[in-house]
Amino acid sequence: MCKILVIDDEDAVRTAVKRRLERDGYTVHTAESQAEGLKLISSQNPPYDVVVTDMVMESPTSGLEVLQAALSADVFSEVIVLTAYGNVANAVDCMKRGAFDYVEKNIPGVDVFELLSMKVRQALERRRASVATIRKMKQYETGSD
Amino acid sequence: MDTNRDCDRFESADQMALLARLSRLVVTNPSVDDVLQQILNDAIQACGAVRGFLAIVDHDRGELDVRYTAGDGWTEEKRIDRLKISEETGRGITSLVAATARPYRSGNVLTDQHYIRAFDDVRSEIAVPLVDAAKRTRGVMNVESTEYDAFDDKCERLLLALADLATIALTMADHRARESALVEIGKELNRFTDTDELLQRVIDVASEALRFEDCSLFLIDVVTDKLVLRASRGPLAKKIGQATYEIGEGLTGWTAKHGVPVRVSDPASDPRWKGRFEEIPASEAGAYMAVPIKIHRGVIGVIRVQRKKSPYKWLPNDFTDEDERMLSTIAAQLGIALDNRRLVDQLVKAERMAAWGEMSARSAHMIGNRVFAIKGDINELEYLLKQENVEPEKALELMESIKKGIFLLEEILNEFREFVKATQLELEDADLNELVKQAVEEGFPKRSATKLTLNLAPNLPKIKADPKKLKRCFTEIIENSINFQPEGGEITISTSRADARSKRWLRPTQQSSEYVQVRFEDTGPGIDLDKKPKIFNPFYSTRAKGMGLGLSIVKGIVEAHNGVIYENGKPGKGARFTILLPRAKESSTKKHQKIEGETN
Repeated sequence: MCKILVIDDEDAVRTAVKRRLERDGYTVHTAESQAEGLKLISSQNPPYDVVVTDMVMESPTSGLEVLQAALSADVFSEVIVLTAYGNVANAVDCMKRGAFDYVEKNIPGVDVFELLSMKVRQALERRRASVATIRKMKQYETGSD
Repeated sequence: MDTNRDCDRFESADQMALLARLSRLVVTNPSVDDVLQQILNDAIQACGAVRGFLAIVDHDRGELDVRYTAGDGWTEEKRIDRLKISEETGRGITSLVAATARPYRSGNVLTDQHYIRAFDDVRSEIAVPLVDAAKRTRGVMNVESTEYDAFDDKCERLLLALADLATIALTMADHRARESALVEIGKELNRFTDTDELLQRVIDVASEALRFEDCSLFLIDVVTDKLVLRASRGPLAKKIGQATYEIGEGLTGWTAKHGVPVRVSDPASDPRWKGRFEEIPASEAGAYMAVPIKIHRGVIGVIRVQRKKSPYKWLPNDFTDEDERMLSTIAAQLGIALDNRRLVDQLVKAERMAAWGEMSARSAHMIGNRVFAIKGDINELEYLLKQENVEPEKALELMESIKKGIFLLEEILNEFREFVKATQLELEDADLNELVKQAVEEGFPKRSATKLTLNLAPNLPKIKADPKKLKRCFTEIIENSINFQPEGGEITISTSRADARSKRWLRPTQQSSEYVQVRFEDTGPGIDLDKKPKIFNPFYSTRAKGMGLGLSIVKGIVEAHNGVIYENGKPGKGARFTILLPRAKESSTKKHQKIEGETN
């Protein structure tokens, strides 16, 4: 079963995201700060499949630090960054460093939870594809030996 | 120089002694009335006259005013009669002397065409002018006798010398008045926190001390780039805030444009004259003078003064070099004071703008998260309602959560509004003690573990306050205090006049005014030293409600009242908040004064 971590300093945000993703059948853990999130990421085995993190928490670049921690725990972890509407500069930076995507929290007229649900599904697909590719490569390598 | 004549002038030791004594009096006695009365008394005695008077030119009205009398037979009626005589143009010995600035002697008044009868017993008369360095007639000294040909050359020369002394006394009095007016204005510049009050006060002092009957002050409005009337004496006072000039328009606008003083004796004939908003009808307009108020970055306003046309040709009432220097000095002092004020205002505004920026960012973040959560609830509700077996309890639970989310949004909205409106006050005269009592009534829970003590000083001066907003400040502090003492504790609220110690928290420009204070002391945990500088910042609050703007709103409201709030309790021993508020000006008539904050 897929395991997802949601990090946000707003209780109401965590609750809502967790509830929606659980509906899709995932196991969802939550953390209320960057620090708590990092702790959970480093202690998790197997690692989280997807990490959904707020961009701005203790610092304006909390999201970046979560991204780095998640990728160093498992290079195939997918990270989705939540940002304030219209403030995508940092999120784009995250993308360059390997985040799966970013989701703006308040896009007018869009059901952001359905969007998030879709992004998580896509992220998981990419992760599966990546893992499958690596497995094939390994098989190939071992087969050729 | 005719030395023989000079020797002649002091023919007796008596006269020498008299002049020496009077000169001493002029130097030592600061009362110009005493000095002039004494000179007149001595003049009569020395000339063997029966009576006399000293008429002084009133330059503002362009009239002679019989101000000092001596000798037999004077009554108030006679004095006023005499005044009327002197007012008759071209007639009367006094008017003649004033007009010609030369002495006049009549050996037999009964046959003198200039003589106007005032006392039946008069047979001869002599009158000498008081002429100052600018060759302006300042007055006339008139002495009369019941004998024919009572006054000779010697007498005339003595009277001329006495008239000079009288002129010196008058001139010195003028200088003293000017000096004290300048000192007075210098003191006033830092006294008033309200700029309009300051401007009016400067105009009043200048007008009284300098005999500028009509005096108006215009400042350039930076938005419209027009001169706007800000203070005035006389009829124009009704148009304060309304009368405006374009830069360059009329004499007033010309002064502002070119940054140099204008001084004309007949403004209506000047090509620059516009004749708008003049205090005096154009036909009566006499001497006019305007000086720019300049600071380093240029002209910021104009002070102008006007006099009515003198009814006598011989009596010019133009403004002098001295007048111009005086007004320019006042303008320069005022310019510096206004510039200081602007800098302080800018500082306060900058502080508030920073708070604004932080608040906007923060509120966007908080509103965003709230809306996000509400959308989450709605998403879930939608999902739920699409199920075959709808569970009403679950749906209601979500509805409840949505409601809560919206309440939170409204709280944020409310605080936002309060923060914005903190600097927009509806001011009225208020009693601090009364406001404290009402705030306690409204904000202190009826049943509380916290013990409340009120120490309200009686007979406090009234303050200018927005009662609703100020009470909001008090209840905020009281509520904070109660929240921080959940196990119960004590709150002491005391009011008093501000002491020197608490006045140290005021800005330098505020310190000379009288302030009252209200202090909130509790026995809670107090505020840690490292947190003290931050408690008035927006969002510092540790309370869950709204955005945590609480104390920053309080600060905004207090500062909009020209007051100050500070906290200096001992950490661990309790918090101690003190609010200082300026007392209301007694003369203040403005009921509702709107102070616009930086709302745009």
